[in-house]
Amino acid sequence: MTDSIHISLEDLTLYAMQALSSAERVPIRLHLAECEICRAELAAVSGDLALMAMSAEQHALPEGARDRFLTRIGAAATPANKIVEIDAYPAGPKPQTRRVQSWIPWTAAAALLVIAAGLGSLLYRTRLDLQHETALTSAQTDESRRAREVLEVLTSRDAQRVVLTAGTPHPVPTARAIYLASRGALVLQANNLAPIEAGKTYELWIIPANGSAPIPAGLFRPDAAGSASVVMPQIPVGVQAKAFGVTIENAAGSSAPTLPIVLVGAVPSAGE
Amino acid sequence: MSGDNSNPISPTGRSSFNQERTRVAAGDDALMDGVRSKDQAAMAEIFDRYAGLVYSISLRVLNDQGYAEDVMQQIFFEVWERPQSFVPGRGSLAGWLSVVARNRAIDHLRRGKPSDSIDEVVLPAQSNLSVEAERRLMMEKVRTRLELLPKDQQESLELAFFEGLSHSEIAAQTGIPLGTIKTRIRSALHLLREAVQA
Ligand SMILES: [Zn+2]
Repeated sequence: MTDSIHISLEDLTLYAMQALSSAERVPIRLHLAECEICRAELAAVSGDLALMAMSAEQHALPEGARDRFLTRIGAAATPANKIVEIDAYPAGPKPQTRRVQSWIPWTAAAALLVIAAGLGSLLYRTRLDLQHETALTSAQTDESRRAREVLEVLTSRDAQRVVLTAGTPHPVPTARAIYLASRGALVLQANNLAPIEAGKTYELWIIPANGSAPIPAGLFRPDAAGSASVVMPQIPVGVQAKAFGVTIENAAGSSAPTLPIVLVGAVPSAGE
Repeated sequence: MSGDNSNPISPTGRSSFNQERTRVAAGDDALMDGVRSKDQAAMAEIFDRYAGLVYSISLRVLNDQGYAEDVMQQIFFEVWERPQSFVPGRGSLAGWLSVVARNRAIDHLRRGKPSDSIDEVVLPAQSNLSVEAERRLMMEKVRTRLELLPKDQQESLELAFFEGLSHSEIAAQTGIPLGTIKTRIRSALHLLREAVQA
């Protein structure tokens, strides 16, 4: 076999780009069906095209796109999808879906999100936990119990609500923790997080009031919009928290926080 | 206040953290396994990872948010319906979705001119494009290299790639001979490959 009977790189490139007429495509297609060398070359050209495609300037998804997709694939637990979308794309023009910067709506939003978790639509973690909880109770019962518990935490008068912010004023990553020590229950929702490099993760810590070592309370990575949540990590019951912190750790997580603490929030003193 | 703070993590706590790690570390292949078994959470995760990329590419071609979203939605819906279209081990999911996004957007642009179905796109195995930071670094290299190309070469490539013009249409539009256009496009793409491998 000589080079002359293979397809030229120029033509393979145009073929991969669909820039040839159908008459021009036919002989190439026939050759490709029989020639492994040219198929491999075509794959390499497609790799080049992937690079070219990815060079397009990146834009945020239109508002509601995620919701529309999840609805389409039937993951429709509607209220929750709406909330997730609000968290991920806060800048939308419609006032009724704009994220409100106060505690009450956020709590309600988180509650809805968590209810959906109970329904099994969104939170992978819940599902994974369940997979590993061997048949003491049925998964169904367990999920709804969990959802109920979370809802109770979110609506409890006793729950402590803490805002965590970065030390610098500018790109404002924030996280909100709701914590009920007596139940060992914790929900964190974070926004505007900086993307995190490969092999790293954010890790949430409870900093106990009695000065003992920080307690790991879940790993999380932000989505493309910088949002992330930790819902009901399994943590010991009854630990009074002085503060919550977030650090960056290796992907497997750590048993002790690595400085610096990128987000931190003190628990308000009693009565607040 | 409980008295067991000396050992703050209960055994169940530990197992939960391990599971959390499994989720965080889930690679594209594991997620696609999930999609194949109709796991909506896995599909949502794939969407969260790549919908912005796919949308941005469609938007670059179509220059219309509505159409770009239609293309993006359709692609992810097909991944959900026919996950076997993507063959793991044949290249990265990010790269595959990128090429499919570009091709679908071009199809939309040329309405009525059908092209290959998505499963015909095959990519070489390559570095881990599922990691956003790596992807961004790579894109930096590609963009820099693109800017270094002579203007007319850059233009030929962009017309063919993002505007979906055939080489004869580009020849007609620019007055450059057909053969020259072919060569320019080919060599420009090859330079991008080299820039990334460098
Ligand atoms: Zn050949």
